Amino acid sequence: MEAQSTIQTFHSIGTSTDWIVMVVYFIAVMLFGSYFGRYTRSTTDFFFGGRRFSWWLITMSIVATGVGSHSFVKYSAKGFEHGISSTMTYMNDWFFLPFFIFGWLPIVVYSRIRSIPEYFEKRFSPSARFLATILLLLYMIGYIGIGFLTLGKAIIPMLPESFMLFGATIPITLMGAIIVIAIITGIYITFGGQTAVIFTDLLQGFILLFAGLMLFALGLAFLGGFDTFWNLLPIAWKLPLADFNKPPDFNFVGIFWQDAIAGSIGFLFMNQGLLMRFMACKSVDEGRKAAAINILFVLPISAIVVGNAGWLGKAISVVSPNLIPPNTSPDQIFVVVANIVSHPGIFGFVMAALTAALMSTVDTLINATAAIFINDVYRPVHRLIDKGKKISGSRDKRELLVARYASVGVTALGVLAVLAFKNFPTVYEAHGFFHSTLTPPLVVAIFLGIFWKKFTPAAVITTFVAGVGLMLLGARYPGIFIAPFDHGITMNPTHPYSYIRALYNMLVCSGVGVVVGLTTSWQKRLVAYLLQKGKTPMKTLIPISVILFLIPLFNVGSSTLQFIDLMLLVVVLPLVVTHYVSYDEEKQTKGLIVDSIQEARIRFKGGLPNDREGDKALVNWKLHEGSDMNVRFAREDMETMAAETGDLVYLSDKRKWLGGLKSIHSRIGEPHDEPGIVYITEEEMKNGLFVKNRILEAEKEM
Amino acid sequence: MLPFEHTWLPFIYLYSLGGFLFLIGIWIIFRAKSIDLRRSHHRRWLFILIFGYVWYFSIHALLNLAALDVIRPVVVLYGLAVEFILFFVGMRIFRTKRMREA
Repeated sequence: MEAQSTIQTFHSIGTSTDWIVMVVYFIAVMLFGSYFGRYTRSTTDFFFGGRRFSWWLITMSIVATGVGSHSFVKYSAKGFEHGISSTMTYMNDWFFLPFFIFGWLPIVVYSRIRSIPEYFEKRFSPSARFLATILLLLYMIGYIGIGFLTLGKAIIPMLPESFMLFGATIPITLMGAIIVIAIITGIYITFGGQTAVIFTDLLQGFILLFAGLMLFALGLAFLGGFDTFWNLLPIAWKLPLADFNKPPDFNFVGIFWQDAIAGSIGFLFMNQGLLMRFMACKSVDEGRKAAAINILFVLPISAIVVGNAGWLGKAISVVSPNLIPPNTSPDQIFVVVANIVSHPGIFGFVMAALTAALMSTVDTLINATAAIFINDVYRPVHRLIDKGKKISGSRDKRELLVARYASVGVTALGVLAVLAFKNFPTVYEAHGFFHSTLTPPLVVAIFLGIFWKKFTPAAVITTFVAGVGLMLLGARYPGIFIAPFDHGITMNPTHPYSYIRALYNMLVCSGVGVVVGLTTSWQKRLVAYLLQKGKTPMKTLIPISVILFLIPLFNVGSSTLQFIDLMLLVVVLPLVVTHYVSYDEEKQTKGLIVDSIQEARIRFKGGLPNDREGDKALVNWKLHEGSDMNVRFAREDMETMAAETGDLVYLSDKRKWLGGLKSIHSRIGEPHDEPGIVYITEEEMKNGLFVKNRILEAEKEM
Repeated sequence: MLPFEHTWLPFIYLYSLGGFLFLIGIWIIFRAKSIDLRRSHHRRWLFILIFGYVWYFSIHALLNLAALDVIRPVVVLYGLAVEFILFFVGMRIFRTKRMREA
């Protein structure tokens, strides 16, 4: 135990039994993940798990991802410092659910996009996709960095300060621990893929909920029951929401804008890892169920699971300050409390669950970032290189290999990203700052793109460029630009407005987007006027736009000059984009905005959707000869499903507990007259992993 | 005695501003015809969405009251248990309608 200024830190917590339990747990999890990795046959399986899973499986696998990302470490830290209000960020996601389940989710699934930048290309232009890719990769890699930092901080208290190797004393540093963790994390994601991740997360989701609740029960028993625990907590620690605007490092209003608004939209709308989970669901409705059940019931339980160590720590520090000094490092409180209230072996199990949950988050993000790399960098670049060339070998195999290399590269970049966050006092603040800073431009662009038809490529590109410029200005001069929106929060000069800056950033980005979107007709008229003067005026506007962006980027001139400069950019850049980027509003919004979801469904099916409500049909499968790729049902079974020829159908193994692992999507062909029999192709049988004599359940999709 | 800024102001801010955003979301999906109440499972979804808002509103309200010693902590559990049952009753009602239609 050592004292660093006023914060007390710990080392070598735990026994050898705990380490054995942890190592056994990790080996078991990796074997489990590798087992399901064999179901990866293509990049679709590697990244999306083949769009086949049931809602309950995805819900539980989201637990590990969500709980891992909003980790035990940071919520226990805030629980220790501020009490039950550490649950705030877990319980403010509902407000955006209507937008998500009836807006973004159906658009993502029906438009068959594989990544968020791809949406930007379809909805706006390739240049918008390019900028979105850069911002999204920064966001994802930053997120991985936060994950690694948390993992390192969780594991450090269990490690000695140094160890001996060949007579030399080697100190154990945070970065050293993170590098080792990154290597372990990278192993099964690289060889497993999304199916492995989903199933590993499913297992870990159950285990970490169990471990967290068990820790709470052990802690309550240690303290002498719930009433003792409750009465030991000061009133401020019992409140579910923090003080409105103080202290600067944990206040309600700042966290509302950073988490409930920017964070919730960011998590639901632009977290590629989470989105891929929903895309792995067998249908849109199943994705809706996964999201709703997760937010309604699983998140409140998760809030207790991740924060209770901090609340217990506070109660123990009140009754036994010698056991847990009040100045214990908040980021270590989870490990310290877990060690005090549990026995050797159990502590190892709890720590294994914690680190495994964090790894789940990180591996999901690595998988998702690799997906973005393949979809938005590798494929477009290769399309350019391969133009006109005859390609030998399987493209999918090549991409699968590149996907695995990309996972390794992304892991390495994630480790480097830790450097940007490791100087924040707690992981919670690092994460808050990260969300407030990196999510607003993309969040605003996605949100306006989905819900506002008038949001043009000029508007989205200006949002990305001038919005980021105004955000830079706010970061550089927070006292001038962010202070008017601070709701009375005192500015901390070291980390100014870690949370409430999200409000400023969202306002400037949405302000730019809305102004440019509303003035589209003016831009067109102005461009037409300039073109009458020849090509030179339009060409001149390109370098002017670049200079206008570089001035705030390199901090040239005063804050006033930079602000005026950015206002000019908001005028000039849309003209350039309007002229040089081709855009057909009718064509490029069809099926890609909330107003045209019906159109998206028609496109997805390739015909009018059949919304007649029917039942599921139980059938035996047989292989059919010939080139017909459709599945064929008996007339009677089609009547049961209220299905018609050409409808989309989902066929899965009848055993519910498989969660859709053995299933396929197909189209219904011409009916036959053998009730209870479905004819499928050999390829479908292989893709569905169907077993002979196993009954299938058939469900019409649309 | 804790100030209003720590007890009820955050709650009011959360559910008024959050509620406003939630209502905008509901309005948008209706206006866009993304949700169609002629379809029974969409009616059930609307019930779930409204239930979710009430559910979180009650969790925070009850926890606040328990923290301020107005109610005992166990009442929070009772209150939420009742709501949980109402949720399943509601789900059952909408499911029954669907069966009849089919």
